Amino acid sequence: MASELNAKVKRWPGWVLLVFVIAGFLAVGATRSTGPASQDDRVDAIARRVACPICDGESVFESQNNASQAIRNQVQQLVADNDLSDAEIVAFIETRYGAQVLLVPKASGFDALVWVLPAVAFACGVAALVVVFRRWKREAGGMREPTDDDRALVEAALLAQLDEPDTGR
Amino acid sequence: MLAAASANSALGRAGLLLMLAASVFGAIAVLYGIRRKDARLLKQGPVYAFLALGGIVLAVVMMQRALVTRDFSMAYIQQVGSADTPLLYNIAAMWSALEGSILLWALMLGVFTAAVAWRFRDRTDDVLVGWALIVMFVISAFFAMLSFGPADPFGAGAAGVTSGPGPNPLLQNHILVLFHPPILYLGYVGFSVPFAFAMAALITGRLGEGWLMETRRWALFAWAFLTIGILLGGWWSYEVLGWSGVWAWDPVENASFLPWLTGTAYIHSVLVQERRGMLRVWNLSLLVATFALTILGTFLTRSGVLNSVHAFGDGPVGTWLLVFFGLIVVVSLGLIAWRGDRLRSPGSIDSPLSREGAFLANNVLFTVWAFIILLGTLFPLLVEALQNRQTLVGAPYFDRLSQPIGLVLLFLMGVAPVLPWRKASTELLRNRLFWPAWCGAGALVVAVLVGADGWAPLVAFGLAGFAAGSAGRQLALATRRQGWRGLVGRANGGMIVHIGVIIIAVALASSNSFTHSATLELNQGEVVEWGGHSFELVSVDERTNDRQSRVAANVILDGGSTYRPAITTYLNMGADIGTPSVRTGLTEDVYLTLNQGAAPGDTTVTLRVFIKPMILWLWLGGAIMAVGTLLAAFPGSRRRVAIDPVSAPIAVDGPPSGSGADADADADQVDVDVDDVGTRNEAPV
Amino acid sequence: MSDVVDEVQAGPADDGASAGGRRRIAPVIVGAIAVVMVGLFIVLAGADASRKESAASPLIGRPAPEATGTLGDGTSFDLSRRKGSWVVLNFFDPTCIPCIQEHPELVAFSEDQATLGADGAELYSVVTKGKQSEIERFFADNGGDWPAIYSKADEFPVAFGVSQVPETWIVDPSGVVQLRLISKVTAAQLNAILQQFREQYG
Repeated sequence: MASELNAKVKRWPGWVLLVFVIAGFLAVGATRSTGPASQDDRVDAIARRVACPICDGESVFESQNNASQAIRNQVQQLVADNDLSDAEIVAFIETRYGAQVLLVPKASGFDALVWVLPAVAFACGVAALVVVFRRWKREAGGMREPTDDDRALVEAALLAQLDEPDTGR
Repeated sequence: MLAAASANSALGRAGLLLMLAASVFGAIAVLYGIRRKDARLLKQGPVYAFLALGGIVLAVVMMQRALVTRDFSMAYIQQVGSADTPLLYNIAAMWSALEGSILLWALMLGVFTAAVAWRFRDRTDDVLVGWALIVMFVISAFFAMLSFGPADPFGAGAAGVTSGPGPNPLLQNHILVLFHPPILYLGYVGFSVPFAFAMAALITGRLGEGWLMETRRWALFAWAFLTIGILLGGWWSYEVLGWSGVWAWDPVENASFLPWLTGTAYIHSVLVQERRGMLRVWNLSLLVATFALTILGTFLTRSGVLNSVHAFGDGPVGTWLLVFFGLIVVVSLGLIAWRGDRLRSPGSIDSPLSREGAFLANNVLFTVWAFIILLGTLFPLLVEALQNRQTLVGAPYFDRLSQPIGLVLLFLMGVAPVLPWRKASTELLRNRLFWPAWCGAGALVVAVLVGADGWAPLVAFGLAGFAAGSAGRQLALATRRQGWRGLVGRANGGMIVHIGVIIIAVALASSNSFTHSATLELNQGEVVEWGGHSFELVSVDERTNDRQSRVAANVILDGGSTYRPAITTYLNMGADIGTPSVRTGLTEDVYLTLNQGAAPGDTTVTLRVFIKPMILWLWLGGAIMAVGTLLAAFPGSRRRVAIDPVSAPIAVDGPPSGSGADADADADQVDVDVDDVGTRNEAPV
Repeated sequence: MSDVVDEVQAGPADDGASAGGRRRIAPVIVGAIAVVMVGLFIVLAGADASRKESAASPLIGRPAPEATGTLGDGTSFDLSRRKGSWVVLNFFDPTCIPCIQEHPELVAFSEDQATLGADGAELYSVVTKGKQSEIERFFADNGGDWPAIYSKADEFPVAFGVSQVPETWIVDPSGVVQLRLISKVTAAQLNAILQQFREQYG
C-alpha cells in the first residue's frame, strides 16, 4: 500500500513538484540581495586580485607586510571615495605598480591562453568520451555469439592453467 | 663539543650511505635473482630493504640529535637551529628547509620500501613483487643519493658559530608544523608503492588486475594521508598566517593538490578495471601521472623556479629532480607503449548512463581540473620563457575555474552512487533519484530560509544536499541489509568519504561566499558592535622571552572570553608576524587580527575582524573522510581468502573474461555493492 | 601459457574497424603527449632557478619613491635632494640579530667610501623600529657615524616595500633605484657592486 503510493508519487507528480520548488526557491534566493557588501568586503575582494609587489606571489589580501598594507590602505581610500568601480581601481593600481601585480591574467593577447586552454581541454575530454562510447557501441553491436573455436580456446587456456600452476613467469 | 659534532654528521652520513648502498645492492640482487631465477638471491631483497630503512633511520636520528643538542658545527643546524627554539619546534625544524625535507622524504621511502618488503616477504620469488621492490629500491637510491650529495644536510658549517636564527618564524608557532609535513609526505611517498607495482606489472607483462588488487589498499592509504596532509596544511594556514584563509592556490599548495586530483581519479577508475577489466592504459597513466606529479611538485618547490612563500630556495637539487621526473615519464610511457598490445582490454562499456560511465565522467573532470591547476601554476614560467616578462596567476583564476568543476562533481556524486553497473534505465533513475533529489531541494530551501543568496552558493548547497541524499541512501540500504557491516567495504566506506567531501564543499561554498570583514578602531573600555558581535578592548600588553616578544590586544568578545590577537616579533629574524586569535563555533568563526604598529599600553588599537561561516566543518569533513577511507579499506571478513589475489593462480596476465558472467550477475545487485574484489578472481577458476 | 591468453585477449581487438581506428588514434595521442612533455621539460629546464641575493622589485629602474623622514638632529631628509651622489640605504632594526651581525661590515663600507672623497656613496640607515635613544645607543656601542633616518608611520620602509630587515638599496645619482639586496651584505660586496655601477654609469 505504502510502497504503491511511494511508486505513484515518484512517477511524475513528485518530480513536477520538485522542479517547481527548486525553481521557486532558486529564483528567490539568487535574485534577492541582502544589501550591498560592506566597504571592507569590497576592499578584500579587490585586494585578492592584486599581488603584493615585494613578496612571492602572495596577494595583498594575504600578505602582512608594509608594502601590502600600503596598497590596502590605498584601495581602502579609493573604495571610500566611491568614484571608481572595482575594475577601475585594479587598473589604477596597475598603472602605479606595473602589470606584474595583477593576479588575474588578462583575457587578451598571449595571456588569453590561460583561459582558453582549460575550455579546450574540457572539450577534448568530452569529445574523447563521445568517441569511445561510440566505438564501444559499435563493438558491442558487432559482438557475436561465441563460436566453437572460441570455446576451444578458452578450454585450452584453462587446461594450460591447471597443468602449470602459476609461479610467475 | 667538537667530537660530538663530528659524530652527528659522520653517523648521519654513514646512515645515508648505508641507505644508498643497500638500495643499489638490493636492486641489483633482486634483478640478478630474477634473471637467474635464484630464490636465495630473491630472498635477500627484503633484507636490503630493512638495511636501507636502518640507514635512513640512523640518519634521521642523528639529524634530530644534532637539532636537539644544538650542534652548531653543522651548516644545516646553523641555518634552521637556534639556541632557544623550544624542543617541539626544534624537532620540526628538520623539515623546515630544503635538505631536511629531502631527508624526511627519504625516511618515508625507507619506511614504505621496508613495508612492501615485509608485506610480501613470503612471496619474494614472485617476479611481480621482485620488480616492484626493484622500482622502490631505485627510487630510494635516488633520494638517498640526493640527500647524500646535492642536498647534504650533514655538511659542516662555518666555524665558530654558536647560534642560528631558528626556523622561519611561521614554522615555530603552531603545533601543526609537527604533523602536516610528515603526513603529507606519507601521502606523496605512499603513491610510490602502487606506482612500483604498476611498473612491475608492465615489466613482467602481468597486466591483469593482480597488481591492482595488491596495491588497492596502499593507494587508498596514500590518498587518505595526502588528503589529511592537505587539510592540515589549510588548518595551519588558517591558524597561523593571519589572512583568514585556508587555501591560497600558492604553487606549493598546488603541487600537493595535483597528485591528489589524479590520485582521486585513479581510485575511482580503478574500480572499473577491477570490475570489468577495462581502462588498463588509462589507470596506468593515472598512476604514473600521480607519482610523476609528486616529483614535479617537489621539483617546483625545491628548485626556486616558482616564487612562493613556501618555496625552499634553490640549488642543484632542482636539476636532479627534473631529470628524475623526465626519467619517470619516459620510462613509464615507453613501457606502456611497449606493452600496448597486452594492455588492449576486452569488453566495452555499454552505456554512458551506468556506474562505469559516471566514473569516466568523473575521470574527465578530475583530469581537466588537474590540467587547469598545472596550467595556471606553470603559466608564469611559460610566459617568461616565450615572452620574457613577468606574470602571475593567482587565487581568483583558480577559484573561478574550479567552481564550475566542483559543482559538476557534486552533481556526479549525487547521480553516480545510484547507477548500476552496465546500464541504467530512466525508470530506475526516476525511482532511485527521487529522494536524493528531494534532499537537494530540501537543502536549497533551508539555505534560502536561513538567508543565503547568490547563484553559486545556492546551487552548491542544493547539489550538496542531492549528493548527500544519494550517499545516505546507499548507506541506509546497506546497513538495513547488513547491519554495521553496511558501513564497511569500499562502496559503503566510499559513501562516508563522499559525505566528508560534501561537508567540505558546503563549508567552502559558505565561507567563500558569506565571509564578512571589518576594520575596527577600539578604544579602551568602549564596546563596539559589528556584525552581531561586540568587541571591547581591555588592554594591550607585551610578553617577552629571550626569543620573541609578543604585543597582544586583550579583546572581550560578546562580553565573554578574552581573545588575544597579537603581533609577534622574533628577535632573531627582525620580522613581525601577526598572530590571529580565533573563536571557533559550529556555525561561524570570529577571526581577529591585530594591525601592525600596536604598542604595549596603547589605549586604541586597530583590529581586523573576519566573520567566517562553517569553517569548523572543513576539519570535521576531513575527519569524516579519514574515517570513511579507513572503513573503505577495511576488509569484509567473508572475503578474507580473496585479499591475496595475485597468489591465486588466475591473476597472471589477467582473466581474459573481464566482462564475464559475474559482471552480468552483478548488474542488478546494485544497492548493496559489496566489496567484490576477490569474487571475480575466484569465480572463473 | 601466456601465449594462449594473449591469443584470447587479441580476439576482440581483431575486430576490423575498431582495431584500425585504434591504430590511427594511438600514435596521435602518444605524439601529442610527447610534444607536450618535451615542451614542459624545456620550459622547466630553462626556467631561471637562480634566486640572487638581489631581489626583484617594481621600483628597480624607476625613480626612487618620494618619501621623507627626519635625521637624528631633527633636520628633514628628502631623498630627492640627494641627487648627484650614490645613495645606499640600509633598512635595519637595532634588535634584529642579522642587522647586528651586519653592522661591522657597514662600518667598514662607510670607511671605504669615505676614502673615495666626493665619489664615495652616502650611507644612511633607515630605522624600521626603535626609539631614537635606542638607535643612538646602538651606534655608540657598535660604531658607525653615518646618519640614521626616522620616518613617521614607517613612511620610508613602506614606500620601498621593505618588510623584513636588513635590506640594502642602492639609488644612483639621478635618483633611480638600481638594486635591492635582501639580508646581510658585506663591505667587499657593496664596494664591488658600487664600483661596477659607477663604471656603467660613466
